[in-house]
Amino acid sequence: MFSQYFGNFLLNKGYINAGQLTDALEYQKSVHLKLGVIAINAGYMTPAQVEEIHNMQKKVDKRFGELAIEKGYITEAQLNEMLATQKQGHLMLGQALIDRKHLTMEQLQEALESYKKESGMSSRQYNVVQKDDSEQIGKVFQNFGETLLGKMYSDYVTLLIKNIIRFVDDAPIVEINQMKSDITAEWYTSQDIGGKIVLHTAIACDKDRFLTLASRFAKEEIKEPDELAQASVGEFLNLHNGIFLVNMSNNGVELEMQPQQVKQNHTYRNPGKAYVVTCHMTWGDFDVILA
Amino acid sequence: MSNNRPTILICDDSLLVRKQMRDCLAECGDFNIVEASSGQSSVELFRQHNPDLVFLDIVMPDKNGIEALKEMIAIKKDVKVVMLSSSGTRSHLKAAMEAGASDFIQKPWEKSQIEHIVRSLF
Repeated sequence: MFSQYFGNFLLNKGYINAGQLTDALEYQKSVHLKLGVIAINAGYMTPAQVEEIHNMQKKVDKRFGELAIEKGYITEAQLNEMLATQKQGHLMLGQALIDRKHLTMEQLQEALESYKKESGMSSRQYNVVQKDDSEQIGKVFQNFGETLLGKMYSDYVTLLIKNIIRFVDDAPIVEINQMKSDITAEWYTSQDIGGKIVLHTAIACDKDRFLTLASRFAKEEIKEPDELAQASVGEFLNLHNGIFLVNMSNNGVELEMQPQQVKQNHTYRNPGKAYVVTCHMTWGDFDVILA
Repeated sequence: MSNNRPTILICDDSLLVRKQMRDCLAECGDFNIVEASSGQSSVELFRQHNPDLVFLDIVMPDKNGIEALKEMIAIKKDVKVVMLSSSGTRSHLKAAMEAGASDFIQKPWEKSQIEHIVRSLF
């Protein structure tokens, strides 16, 4: 799930260009994640130590982990932990970039450290948060009887929480309910997604929450629900949906977004199968509609 | 534009993005800035102003950025168009590069990326 976050990060920081990212994402489908990359990510080994083990492997018929333990670079417990984390999305992309020679081991190490620092937690913590959130949210959708779509909804909501933390600078407590009646909102910002899956997404809230959300995302005080406020909330939804689409694209599902729309005093008719994700913030609640 | 300053066309339906881009570009140098809020007006303003650089969103009303890019390239083959989109899916990346985009920046963009592009051109 985070491979695209990491891809965006590398692109945005200038480590790679768009062509290299496209190439690596394509190559990533067949990539085999090597322990050297995992060891660097975990901070157990330096790029030089990994290179040393790779060179030793050319001379002796031993596995990477075995040699690394013999050299005292890692313990057996660390090796087992590394083997268990061989499917981390962002590391698969890192491996693809190394294999395709778009990054060196040293550049990857630097990028990973910077990535973790920017996300405010270690990649292991990042994955634990992701796993726990996803599992809990996934259970909620299972309770509604959603199976296949439930995974997608769960991914959507997990990403939403992360994007609220990242772009709105506040951690929400979310409550998910099946929509039982029409929803009328003072401000209704929506964006439709089409393709193999059709989704209606929206942020519904009152004026005060609308202005707070707009101000926090724009990083400037917005006092009126004018064009700038509408553009800000619309762009937050657009940015979140864009990242969701990229994640779906990485899983082989290509979707398209429509331009976002902002309406005042709008009633959204309950289509029969829709969810309301209420985000409880420190400054009030807003609803995210998922239908 | 009658002066000798380079002209940059910002195409995005979000006023916030255009404002942030404009502020960022003002810090990078002295440019004529032209703004378009839809795919159709992007192409029209491109014809009208013959910009030296274009920042082009993909998801826009009227006409999407990939279609607008193709029309811009048809008008001026060597134009520098940087796609600026939240939707950096495989298909969009591929379509943009095949249509002749110079680069693709995934939103949220950072000032350093814009600076890098602008300084490498002007």
